[in-house]
Amino acid sequence: MDHTDEPALPISVGWRDYLELTKPRVVALIMLTAVVGTLLAAPGLPPLDALIFGNLGIALAAASAAAVNHVLDAHIDARMARTRRRPLPSGHLSQAQALRFALLLGLASMTLLVAWVNVLTAVLTFCSLIVYAVVYTVWLKRATPQNIVIGGAAGAAPPVLGWAAVTNHVDPHALLLFMIIFAWTPPHFWALAIARRRDYERVQIPMLPVTHGVELTRLHVLLYTVILCVVTLLPFMTGMSGLLYLAAALALDARFLWMAVALKISDREGLPMRLFRFSITYLMWLFIALLADHYLRVVL
Amino acid sequence: MRHATLARAVALLAFLLCLGVVVLGAYVRLSDAGLGCPDWPGCYGHLTPAAAAADQHTAVDPLDGRPLQIGKAWREMVHRYAAGTLALLIAWLAAMAIAWRRERVLPRAYTLGLLGIIVVQASLGMLTVTWQLTPLIVTLHLLFGLTTLALLWWLVLTLWRHRADGWPERTRARGVSGGARALAAVALLVLAGQIALGGWTSSNYAALACPDVPTCQGSFWPHANFRAGFTLWHPLNVDYEGGVLAGPARVAIQLVHRLGALVTTAALLCAAAAALRAARPANVRRAGVLVIVLLALQLTIGVSMVLRGFPLWLATAHNAGAALLLLGTLTLNRALTPLRPLRPLRA
Repeated sequence: MDHTDEPALPISVGWRDYLELTKPRVVALIMLTAVVGTLLAAPGLPPLDALIFGNLGIALAAASAAAVNHVLDAHIDARMARTRRRPLPSGHLSQAQALRFALLLGLASMTLLVAWVNVLTAVLTFCSLIVYAVVYTVWLKRATPQNIVIGGAAGAAPPVLGWAAVTNHVDPHALLLFMIIFAWTPPHFWALAIARRRDYERVQIPMLPVTHGVELTRLHVLLYTVILCVVTLLPFMTGMSGLLYLAAALALDARFLWMAVALKISDREGLPMRLFRFSITYLMWLFIALLADHYLRVVL
Repeated sequence: MRHATLARAVALLAFLLCLGVVVLGAYVRLSDAGLGCPDWPGCYGHLTPAAAAADQHTAVDPLDGRPLQIGKAWREMVHRYAAGTLALLIAWLAAMAIAWRRERVLPRAYTLGLLGIIVVQASLGMLTVTWQLTPLIVTLHLLFGLTTLALLWWLVLTLWRHRADGWPERTRARGVSGGARALAAVALLVLAGQIALGGWTSSNYAALACPDVPTCQGSFWPHANFRAGFTLWHPLNVDYEGGVLAGPARVAIQLVHRLGALVTTAALLCAAAAALRAARPANVRRAGVLVIVLLALQLTIGVSMVLRGFPLWLATAHNAGAALLLLGTLTLNRALTPLRPLRPLRA
């Protein structure tokens, strides 16, 4: 075998390994939703300490949860092509190093939130962290094909957390944002699970396509997409958002629905992965639209 | 310009103007400007509200003493000017269909039928005013307006498909199931019924009967008087602006419109799902998604109206949404219906 093309393994522990431990791209999307939560909570600019420390605290907690997830899943990651090169299975970091790092991030997060934001945000953030890092990773993920549906609650929490950082209570409008992400998670995740079902099969994670087949998963993706479309219209209905958001939501929903239908009726090879990638773009633009709409209404 | 190109351009122009006239008509009605000019075709006997306002003698309606309100009068008259222009455009289409009948640039009977409908619609427009907003006439005025819009859109789609696909031997039903066609036709009928109920709701001022959703006055089955709510004919020489029915009758109307929304949603979703499932041509699938998106839009507007306390712009948008949903459903039907030749096939 010829290994000359591969980069040499770093000898020392690099900051890049620690960075990867935090799943920066996932945390980036989570942070977008949390920041939108903080910005939507006030008519103009929210208090800067809530905006900065609140979101920093949420980001640190998300990063900590990601690191814990790396530790708990290291043995699975080692057996899947997609994840084999992660810092723990590749041996760049030890489990103890990763856990210490996660603990540090978690403590920093809680300190920030309790000291400079509010206790409610700290408590909710802590609960989300535990639900994702422990309840989901340790138990749900291996227990039921509904794993990501239930676990989605943790991923849907950030806008509520961001909102609570400003207002110090759980606002009904924030729960709308929660519902959007909660309904978005199943089609998003199951599209990936269809694409990667062999991997999940090998490591015996009971993802829906593994336990109930690809066909039923496609149907579920389509049905959850319909729910998602309905839920994304609620911000307009309740008067939280205006026409700009409605237009963006309808366009994005049409595209999502179009792709979910294509996935349901066609066997073409790349569709699940394309839907998965689009679902990320979808959520990004949807939250950007919420934000743009919010400030448009402030300006007008 | 080639005759066919000109006919297509005029048809498209007429369609766009018609969409504007329909939505403007809704705005006139919803802003209580329907009786802005209590006579017809003039306004207090003049061509424009400005001229009427300048004339001291005619600034009060001789019949019921309603004084001229210049803003409402302008809204009503702009609707009439635009509708008149539309009638001229349709007359032009009819003239082209007759003059160039050998070239068959337009379906002749169809275009003449359109002209007949616009005549009926103009008469209904007159009765709306002179019979002081009798609910049945107002609803029929809406339905004929939307029929005009629907026929124009169907004409535009047909002409455009002829241009894109050439002549019909290639376009006959490619992989389209009869089931999908039947469902689309049923959905169109159900939608037409729901639009009629919507018109009835508006013309009886029954929208505000239920200030909450999904419940009505806090109950899923509130006290309602269906017999009174659906008495179609009411005596003339009564001013119906603001509505005359008692609360329970209005609740009945609003309730049926809401139940109609459920039935329509089901029918449209079935039609769209059949189109998405059965059809290979991309235009059928696109039309299916279009129907779903427009349905979502219209339901959103409907629920928002109630939740946000019936702002004028949302009420107008609910009318525009109904028009768009109708157009989307027609697009689906057109995509599923084989094209018949405008002129005989050459051997």
